[in-house]
Amino acid sequence: MIKSSNIRNFCIIAHIDHGKSTLADRLMEKTGQVSSRDMENQLLDSMDIERERGITIKLTPVRMFYTAKDGQEYVFNLIDTPGHVDFTYEVSRSLAACEGAILIVDASQGVEAQTLANVYLALENNLEILPVINKIDLPSARPDEAKKEIEDVIGLDASNAPLVSAKEGIGIEDVLESVVHSFPPPQGDLNAPLKALIFDSYYDNYKGVMLFVRVKDGKICAGDRIKTFRSDKIYDVVEVGVFSPNLVPKDGLYAGEVGYIAASIKSILDVAVGDTVINAEAPAAEPLPGYKKVQSVVFCGIYPLDGSRFNDLKEAILKLQLNDASLIFEPDNSVALGFGFRCGFLGLLHMEIIQERIEREFGLEIITTAPSVSYKVVKTDGEVIFVDNPSHLPQPSDIEHMEEPIVHADIYSPPDYLGQIMDLCREKRGTFLQMTYLDKSRVQLEYDLPLNEIIFDFFDSIKSRTRGYASFDYELKGYERSKLVKLDILLNGEPCDALSMIVHEDSAYTRGRVLCENLKEAIPRQLFEVPVQAAIGGKIIARETVKAVRKDVLAKCYGGDITRKKKLLEKQKEGKKRMRSIGSVEVPSEVFMQILKTNKD
Amino acid sequence: MAGIYVHIPFCKSKCRYCDFASFPDKICFAESYMACVYREMSMRSAELKNYTFDTLYIGGGTPSVVDENYIAMLVAAAKKNFKLSENAEITIEINPGTVSAGKIETYKKCGINRFSVGLQTAIDSQLQDIGRIHSLNDFLLCAKLLKGENFSVDVMTGLKDQTVADVERTSEVAASAGGSHISMYALTPEDGTPVYTDYLNGELPDGDEVAAMYAAGVKKLGSLGFDRYEVSNFCKKGRESRHNQNYWQRGEYIGFGVSASSHINNIRFTNTFDLDEYFKCILSGHLAVINREEVDEQGREEEYIMLRLRTSDGIDLDKFKSLFGVGFEEKYKPQLKKLADSLIITDKTVKIKDEYLFVQNSIIVEFFS
Repeated sequence: MIKSSNIRNFCIIAHIDHGKSTLADRLMEKTGQVSSRDMENQLLDSMDIERERGITIKLTPVRMFYTAKDGQEYVFNLIDTPGHVDFTYEVSRSLAACEGAILIVDASQGVEAQTLANVYLALENNLEILPVINKIDLPSARPDEAKKEIEDVIGLDASNAPLVSAKEGIGIEDVLESVVHSFPPPQGDLNAPLKALIFDSYYDNYKGVMLFVRVKDGKICAGDRIKTFRSDKIYDVVEVGVFSPNLVPKDGLYAGEVGYIAASIKSILDVAVGDTVINAEAPAAEPLPGYKKVQSVVFCGIYPLDGSRFNDLKEAILKLQLNDASLIFEPDNSVALGFGFRCGFLGLLHMEIIQERIEREFGLEIITTAPSVSYKVVKTDGEVIFVDNPSHLPQPSDIEHMEEPIVHADIYSPPDYLGQIMDLCREKRGTFLQMTYLDKSRVQLEYDLPLNEIIFDFFDSIKSRTRGYASFDYELKGYERSKLVKLDILLNGEPCDALSMIVHEDSAYTRGRVLCENLKEAIPRQLFEVPVQAAIGGKIIARETVKAVRKDVLAKCYGGDITRKKKLLEKQKEGKKRMRSIGSVEVPSEVFMQILKTNKD
Repeated sequence: MAGIYVHIPFCKSKCRYCDFASFPDKICFAESYMACVYREMSMRSAELKNYTFDTLYIGGGTPSVVDENYIAMLVAAAKKNFKLSENAEITIEINPGTVSAGKIETYKKCGINRFSVGLQTAIDSQLQDIGRIHSLNDFLLCAKLLKGENFSVDVMTGLKDQTVADVERTSEVAASAGGSHISMYALTPEDGTPVYTDYLNGELPDGDEVAAMYAAGVKKLGSLGFDRYEVSNFCKKGRESRHNQNYWQRGEYIGFGVSASSHINNIRFTNTFDLDEYFKCILSGHLAVINREEVDEQGREEEYIMLRLRTSDGIDLDKFKSLFGVGFEEKYKPQLKKLADSLIITDKTVKIKDEYLFVQNSIIVEFFS
């Protein structure tokens, strides 16, 4: 057993690309956790998507041993965190398990919007913060300016910040030594009843649900009987252990330590991330405070492409939720798409990642509807409801007024692109708040923006208009009254619920027109003419026509080669199976994504 | 009913749209090839001794490019190895650029009683463009030689620079030259043919334009007294191609030569497309079949629907029931309801409306499982 004064639990926070995973890899290599020979780049990013996109989505814990200059051996528990704004929830979970946070700032790019958001989150959790200036090997590195920015923008003392190059392995020793001195050891009473915070979990086919925990008080050993605060079910602990970074079994986990518990937990619904594990025989009286709960801001419908695979989709979403507690969902039923789920996400990237994980990890083909936000609807009878699914919007006559979520956005950019950014924000119905020159090369712009304008392609637009120089972060501010309407799409006169959306009145005509044009291209010609119409209430505001097919005959059955023709027809039939019927119109699944294109520049 | 098909894979030169087995540079092997075909026939003779064949179709390639005496020997070989009915329909495909009075005379003498002439278009510049070896004038001369004979004319739509008027004129030319049957096909640009490049470059008329040409052709042929008895086939009364009608009945047929398809006893099989391989097989005493597929119950039904819906008679409901033991109108009730606008449904038959024949794939596919 290790003295708790020799334990340091910390995480790393950084903007995407500032080198978080690389630094984590270096720390592991330096402490001998992995030999550099065996090292795969970005060891902690174990999901395919993470490696491909070069981002961290899931937090991954790892345990390291370090002998400091004072001659003592320390145990470091590093909990890697995602950098993207969408994954604030994951970040807050790891923060709740730590005492300190390494803040990586890129020596050439300085402080970015997301960095700030996570720093504030860490400060809210009473974490000590150790700034580290990374990428000092780059020719464009300006470490002194980066330090000054940390002091000016965040208000942290950065004078002793280690200067490192994670890529080149420079300054890593400095970081390890600073971890010992800058971060406090965990507080906790070894003799108190067990309290362990579940900060993550996943499903193992052999061991059942695996819980990742931070033991706050007491100890837990194999053979203990445990339960959680939220549920009455009791489990026998089969195995406890630590991450190095693979799972390594241990006799026990003690106050201050980070590790995993396997207790043959069968159902993924029985344990929730954020809950507290306690001893069933000597239960603690109070649960741990948990951590900041983050709200879903983006919603969309997810349906199996093959309607008969609804149960597989359900299974997949349940398993993903176990691993990603920020994913919320409820069953949904669409006239056009059949049975599926309405899912809530932390942001657009989160949504994309989940969609991709369902397809890759579970081999399911899915149809997703356009993203939406949650609108506040005040009905004429005074009732207030929240609607994130356009097809659940009450009749216009029952609506007194509607409100939409507004975000406070911080945009950081070199001054050269101010004009472009301001144009974009104006197009997106933004309200300018203020502008601050951080230094001669960086400006901070603050805007209030409607969330529903952001969820389509704001991020892409701002990146393309500023050649990738601007960074952007937002937080929900509240709801504001707005003139919103429901835009319906009718195919051959029949409304298609999966294509409806809620839009601002001023942009409804443009959206309707563009959407009809896109749909006209995407819907294959049928045996009859198909009018594609956009409507608000009963009023048609745009119309296009998909002409009837006039030729699809394969002329010859030459020399009696009937097999070939039949194969061609069978192929056509296979294609049809991937289509959905909306009334009498057959629509390929890609069509449902066309709606996303309405905002294209 | 049963038919015999013989494939002659030689041409003077390959047309730019041609996707069939034909080897213009191997015409010197024609004599050996014909000998192999006679041999292949004798190899099949015993197995098919209980069949009476009602049609013999000599297609290609260009059958008229090989010496007419080989063709006469071919007809003789067919008669020797198989039972051909008294009034069998014996057809040969001919290219107007390869005929002479003597050739036609030989054909007639050996028993050939139907001719299929490839005209394709009456516009010389278009003939040149698609790589045909003949002119309009060659066709008119050929038609003169066939005067009084039962002959069919092939016409194409969807050619580069072709107009609706061109299609109408070609139809008129084919009819006034004495053709009693016209096959009108829309050009299908097949991958690997030179025409496919034209297609990729956007030089061919699009689907709507082709549909317009085709519709104009259908109308013109109607006014000239031709009935449409299948999506692409038109004829004067009683001049239907019996050989092709057998295909559309899911009838049985045996094919000889490179790439020929057969359908015997619910098994569909095809000969090799490779000339050398064909020679090797036959000369070593083996058949040259490369694929063979038994059609299961489901497949038979789908084939039947697919083939019958090509025709103007459509599906005979009594016949369907006797073949498959289930009523078509009961089994496919939802489809019939969905497709009501494009079908003619009576108590006796179901068929595709004339104006929908050209989009029949979309209709037929609904009946596939």
